[in-house]
Amino acid sequence: MKLFARQVCALVKLSFVELWRRNDIFALVLLGLALMVPLSMATPFGAEGASRYLDEMALLLVWGFSLFIALGTGQRLFPPEFESRTIYPLLAKPISRGRLLVGKYIGAVAASWSALAFFYVLFVASVLLRGGTFAAELPQAIVLHFAFVALAVSVSLLGSLLVSASANLTLSALVLVGMFFFGRRLPEYAEGLNPALAWVVKTVYAIAPHSEFFDMRQRLVHGWGAVDGGVLVAVLAYAMWYVFVVILLADVVLNRKRV
Amino acid sequence: MEKLFANVRAFFLLCLFLGLSHVALLSSMGPRFGEAMPQVVKGDGALAVAFGDARETISQAFVHKADSYFHGGIDMECDHLAEHGNAAHDDDHDHEDCHDEHDRGEAMQGAFDPWHWINSHVRAPDVHRHLGGGETIELMPWFWASVKADPHNIDAWSTTWYIANNMMKDKDLALRVVTEGLEKNPDDPELLICRGRTIYDNGRGEFAAAREAFSAAVAAAGRMLQRGGSPDERILKARDFAQAYLDDLEKKASMEHGSGGR
Repeated sequence: MKLFARQVCALVKLSFVELWRRNDIFALVLLGLALMVPLSMATPFGAEGASRYLDEMALLLVWGFSLFIALGTGQRLFPPEFESRTIYPLLAKPISRGRLLVGKYIGAVAASWSALAFFYVLFVASVLLRGGTFAAELPQAIVLHFAFVALAVSVSLLGSLLVSASANLTLSALVLVGMFFFGRRLPEYAEGLNPALAWVVKTVYAIAPHSEFFDMRQRLVHGWGAVDGGVLVAVLAYAMWYVFVVILLADVVLNRKRV
Repeated sequence: MEKLFANVRAFFLLCLFLGLSHVALLSSMGPRFGEAMPQVVKGDGALAVAFGDARETISQAFVHKADSYFHGGIDMECDHLAEHGNAAHDDDHDHEDCHDEHDRGEAMQGAFDPWHWINSHVRAPDVHRHLGGGETIELMPWFWASVKADPHNIDAWSTTWYIANNMMKDKDLALRVVTEGLEKNPDDPELLICRGRTIYDNGRGEFAAAREAFSAAVAAAGRMLQRGGSPDERILKARDFAQAYLDDLEKKASMEHGSGGR
């Protein structure tokens, strides 16, 4: 157990260093600033005081950037190791493939969470600078967002073991973004389709990752209050189960992979 | 050398021929297809050039977003804002016909769907609410974006005016909005009515200015109706509405004269 913890710690440290060295986060922050600063200076018809549109835009950017970071981090866990053949010395040490997978996954999630925490610090700072207050729903929204990042990393990790980098990033982004915006409407869409297509849509609805579960922006921006504790637990349990199943699948794929 | 001159001469002749035929073609197409293919970009600025008529759709999308904000971020089938935005509309309507997505979702669900249950609880609760008073300032950025995208979206202008005038009770802002709207759409009867109503309701006794705006609205509506085609119901309504205000003003003026005479 102690050995496992030490191995995981080493992998987490590696993921952190890799993510923060790449400067992706700083480029994203600069992009965010370039979009948000002009928006925050706008006074529509000379009327001042509107802030919800800024909160919504800022949160949308935080979501977009976190997805970008999560997918990229998940994608970079194994393929570069295979290409540069550094996977051999890793596996030559007394570490199993399963342990390597879990360790790398935890490292990637921890690194992505650190980036997300950084984005939320900037978001809260921007709200406070505009004279806003710390919303009561914010801790819940952040917890759910963290769970979403863990799920996105797992999806990207599984994809990276199955298809090429570009295909994985495109497919993962399509699925997660598609479900984010249209996931809850899929049963409605299925109603008007022929039975075969409706079955496909309902199957997608049943098994695709429901990224929209983690989106509390509406409550946060428009002040609808926090969600019930039971609902929060249900969403977190969904995320945990989903991640568990995806990592299990990734383990099967990695074990069958000829390295 | 002689060959080079021959080539250059042939090149110039070819250019001359192409140029002349181009001019001839354009001059013959102009009168024939001038009406069918007007090469005029409505509006000005980079947006007009880049998006063309797609701006109208973009503008409507911003109005839809503003409507969603009005309902606390929920998309609802509710005409409250749109109806009030019509300058020729006099208040109150109830919300029995308003339905939100939650109603539709619940109606469609048969067996228990855990994903739907989570979704409906994570998203905003099943409550129909409207922004009111000063909170409606939150709608302004979306309407501003809407009229920037399409400066000829009269609904957007008049709804913005309604929010400033009736909800925020900010008459100066309302006048600013309608003045800007009239700059982009001179002689629009609905915007002239908006202007007249703000001045009329102002309580500053600016009846002369209000009368001027309503008269201009009646005249503008008359000109639009004279242009032919089937009469637009909105223009007819706007004309009648402006005329009703003018009659009211005349009545008030004659009463003041009467009381002054006694």
